[in-house]
Amino acid sequence: MGQNMLEVRHLCASFFTQKGEVKAVNDVSFEVPRGRIVGIVGESGCGKSMTVRSVMRLLKYPGKIVSGEVMLDGRDLMRLSGREMAAVRGAEVSMIFQDPMTSLNPVMKAGKQVSEAVRIHQHVSSEEAKRRTLEIFEAVGIPEPARRYDSYPHQLSGGLRQRVMIAMAMICRPKLLIADEPTTALDVTVEAQILRIMKNLCGTGTSVLIISHNLGVIAQICDYVYVMYAGRIVEQADTFTLFEHPMHPYTCGLLNAVASLRLGREKLDTIPGVVPNLLHLPEGCSFSLRCEKCSGICASKMPDLMKTGEGHMVRCHLSGKGGES
Amino acid sequence: MGKNKRKDLIPENIPENIPENDPSGSGMTDNISLRSQIGEEEKFSDLLRRMARENKLAVISAVVILLFVLAAVFAPVLTPYKETEMDLLHRLSPPSAAHPLGTDEGGRDILTRVLYGSRISLLVGVVPTLLSMLLGTVLGLAAGFLGGKTDAVIMRLADIMLGFPSMLLAMLIMYTLGDGLMNVFLTLALVNWASVARIVRAEALQIKESEYVEAARVIGVARYKIILRHILPNAVPTLIVLFTLNVPSSILTESSLSFLGLGIQVPDASWGLMVNTGRQYLYNAPWLSFVPSAAIMLVVLSFNFLGDGLRDVLDPYQKNQ
Amino acid sequence: MKYNILQRLLQAAAVLLGVALLIFVMLRIVPGNPIATMMGEHADAATIERMTAELGLDQPIPAQFCRYIADAFRGDFGTSYSLGKPVSQLMKAAFGNTLKLAVLAALFAWILGIGCGIIAAVRKNGVFDHLFMGVSLLGVSMPVFMVAMILQYVFAYHLHWLPISGTDSIKGFILPAVALGWNSAGSVSRLVRSTLLDILQEAYIDTARAKGRRQWGVLGIHALRNALLPVVTMMALQISSLLSGAVITETIFSINGIGRLAVQAISGRDIPLLQGTALFSTAVVILGNFLADCLYSVLDPRIRKEA
Repeated sequence: MGQNMLEVRHLCASFFTQKGEVKAVNDVSFEVPRGRIVGIVGESGCGKSMTVRSVMRLLKYPGKIVSGEVMLDGRDLMRLSGREMAAVRGAEVSMIFQDPMTSLNPVMKAGKQVSEAVRIHQHVSSEEAKRRTLEIFEAVGIPEPARRYDSYPHQLSGGLRQRVMIAMAMICRPKLLIADEPTTALDVTVEAQILRIMKNLCGTGTSVLIISHNLGVIAQICDYVYVMYAGRIVEQADTFTLFEHPMHPYTCGLLNAVASLRLGREKLDTIPGVVPNLLHLPEGCSFSLRCEKCSGICASKMPDLMKTGEGHMVRCHLSGKGGES
Repeated sequence: MGKNKRKDLIPENIPENIPENDPSGSGMTDNISLRSQIGEEEKFSDLLRRMARENKLAVISAVVILLFVLAAVFAPVLTPYKETEMDLLHRLSPPSAAHPLGTDEGGRDILTRVLYGSRISLLVGVVPTLLSMLLGTVLGLAAGFLGGKTDAVIMRLADIMLGFPSMLLAMLIMYTLGDGLMNVFLTLALVNWASVARIVRAEALQIKESEYVEAARVIGVARYKIILRHILPNAVPTLIVLFTLNVPSSILTESSLSFLGLGIQVPDASWGLMVNTGRQYLYNAPWLSFVPSAAIMLVVLSFNFLGDGLRDVLDPYQKNQ
Repeated sequence: MKYNILQRLLQAAAVLLGVALLIFVMLRIVPGNPIATMMGEHADAATIERMTAELGLDQPIPAQFCRYIADAFRGDFGTSYSLGKPVSQLMKAAFGNTLKLAVLAALFAWILGIGCGIIAAVRKNGVFDHLFMGVSLLGVSMPVFMVAMILQYVFAYHLHWLPISGTDSIKGFILPAVALGWNSAGSVSRLVRSTLLDILQEAYIDTARAKGRRQWGVLGIHALRNALLPVVTMMALQISSLLSGAVITETIFSINGIGRLAVQAISGRDIPLLQGTALFSTAVVILGNFLADCLYSVLDPRIRKEA
C-alpha cells in the first residue's frame, strides 16, 4: 500500500459543446496522502469542481472524462464498470456538495436519506441502519438526533442540513471524503463548526479533499494546497509555504486581495481582467493576459510545473525570479 | 420541455464556466458576468431568427400554416369544382384523378370542400382566440394590477368558468346563443378567456413586483401608464405563445361542436361538420371523415409545433407553473 | 392543516354554487318558452300555461333558483322533458358508464404517458425519445373523434377484434377508453419527460448518485416522487378534459353516459336534463381538483407542514 489514498494522474476532462471541446480540466495531477486534508483553490470556473466530480465519475452532460488515472488506494477508478463504480461511491469515496439547501431530497426524511446510504452498501436491517444513523448524527453534532431523523430537509437550518450531508457521506466510513465548497452557502459561524467537524473526521482515518474559492477555509484546515487556474494546476505547496512564500503571480494576486481586505486598505487589490474563455485560451500561459509581470515568453509558451522547493511546484516562467512580491 | 431544450442549444451555458458572485468576500477578483459579454438583450426579430435556425419543425409548421391560409384565400382559383356543386352520378366515389380526395354523399369534391372549409376553420381558430385574449388580458391585468376586490371577483369568475369541462360549457353557451358562425366565435371566446386571464394575472403580479415598475411608481407614474408602458409590453411574449397555443384548441373545440351538430350549420362548410356528415358513411367511404380529420390534425399540429418553438425561444413560463 | 382543508372545501362549494347559478341563468335566458318548444305545435295555450305553472317556470328566476338548489340537495334535479324520467335516475344510470370509461381512459393515459415519459427522459435525444415525443405531439393534436373513428374503423370494422359499440362487457369499453385517453397520454408523457429532465439536474440527484445509488435507484427512489408532483396537478386538470372528451367518445361508441345524455338534452331542448348533466359534470371536476389539492399536500411535505 502506498502512502497516498488518492492519486490522480494526468486527468483531462472536457465539455463537448456545439462550439467545440472545452478543456475544463487539462492534465491535472495531484494526490491526497492518507489521513490528510488537501485543498484545491481557484476561482469559479477554473475546473476544480469538474476535477473532483471526475474522481467520483459524476460529470454532468455534456462533460466527459477524456483521459487520466484516478487511483484510490491503489485501484484505478477509471477502469471500473458502472456497477462497480456505484459500489465505490458512498462506501469508499463520498462527496458533499456546495448548497445543502438543494442537495437533500425535499420529499424524503433526513434520517431516511442518511440510512439509505448504509442500506445501499451493507446488508443491515432498517433498525440497525437507523441506529447507526442516530449514532452518526450525534457524532456530527446534530442536537436531538431522534427528532431530526424524522425531519424533512426544509425544516432544518443550513448548518444542520450540511451536517446531515456530512453524516450521509461519513456513515460508511469512506477512505476519502470529497467536499465541494462545503461552507460557501453557510454563514461564518456555521462555517467554523462545519470545518471543525471535518477536521475531526480526518482524525478517524478518512482523508479529505476539499475544494474552495475561499482561502480562509483552505488556510484553516488544509495540510497541502493546489491552486488551479483555467483548468490547470498552477502552483502546489504545503499550506504554510503557499501562504508565506507564494511563487505564482496568480497565487500572489489572490493572497494580496485577501490581505488588503484584512488590513482594511482603502483600495481593494484585485486581479485585473476575468477568467479567460476556455474555448479561446491564449497561446502561451493562460494567465498571461492578466499577469502584471507578463513577458515575451509568457505569451508564446505554456510553462511547465517546475519544482522550486521541497514539495513546492509552480507553473510560471518567472518562478524563482520574481514570483514573490 | 422548453427549458431543457434551451440548455442544450445554448453552448454558453456551461455550468462550470459561469462565474458567480463571490458571497464570502474571500478576495477573489470581481467577476464580470459572462452574460454581459455575450449580450443578453436579444431583439424579438433575433429571437425569431434563432428559432428559425434551431427549430426546423417550427419553420415547417409556419410554412404549413401559411399554405392553409393561402388555400383558404385562393380556394376558388385552386379547384375547378364549386363548393356546393352536386354530382349525383359520382356519389361517394373514392379518390381518383378527377377527385384526388374522393367525393361525398352529394358527389361534391372533397378536396374542394376541405379548401373552402379551411376558411371557416382558420377563422374559428383565430377570431375567438383574439377575442378571448383581449378579454382575458384586460381582466387578467385588472386583477393582477388592481388587486383587492376586483381581483377577487374576476378570479372567482374565472374559477367558475374553469370548473366546467370545456366541451360542456361550450355546448351550454351554444345552446343559449343559438347556432351560427358569430355565436361560435362568441362561445369559444367565452370558453377560453379564463385561462388567459389567469396566466396574464400571474405575469402581471410578477412584473408588478419587479424593480423597474417599483421605480416607476415611486417617481409617480400614473397607474394606467404603468400598465400600458411597463406591464403590457413585458407580457407580450407570453401572449404570443398563448395565442399560438390557443388557436389549435379553438379549432379542436369548434370541430367537436360541429361534430355534434352544434354551431356551424350547412351550407357553411367546416371541417368538423364534414366529419359529422361523413360519419354515416364511415364503413363504405371512410375518406369522407378521415380527410377533413387529417386537415384538422395537420393545422393543429402545426400550431402546436410553432407554439412550442416560440415558447422555447421566448420562454415566458416559469418552470414550475 | 385541518383548517386549510376546510377552507378549500368551502371554496369548492362556493365555486359550485356559482356554477349552478351560471347554468341556471344561461338556460333561463334562452329565447322562447321551453314548454312550448317541447310540446310542439299541437299544444294549446292553456296546457302550456298549466305545465309552466306546474314546473314553477312562471316564478321569478331567483325564486326558481332557490327552489332548484333546495331540490338538488335532496337529490331531485327535476324530470326530463324529453325522456319523461327523473333526471337523477337517468344520471345515476349514466354515471356508471362514464365512470368506467373515464377510469379506464385515465389508467391507459397515465400508464402509457408516465412510462413513455420516463423512458424518453432517461434516454434523452435517443430513438425512443424522438419517437415518443413525436407520437405524443401527434396524440395531442388529434381530435378525439378522429382517434375514435380510426380505432373503430381498424379494430372493430376491419379486424373484428373488438365490438363497434355497446357496453355489455368490458370489451366494449376498450376502444372508447383508448380513444379518450389518447390525448391525455400525449400530454402526460410530455409533462413527465420535461419535469423529470428538470429534476435530474437537481443537486439531490447528484447526492443520491454520490451515495452509491445506481441509475434506476436514483430514478425510482429520488427523482420519480418529485416528478410526480406536477403530474398530480395535471391529473386533476384532466378530469375536466376527460369529461369533455367523453361527450364525443360516448356519442361515437353509443355508450349511455353523462356526455351522451347532455347531447340528447341539447337536441331535445331538455332544460332539466341539460342543467343536471352540466351541474353534475362540473361538480365532479371541482371535487377532483379538491382531491388533487389534498393529494398534493400529502405527497409534498413542504406544503404539508406549512399549512
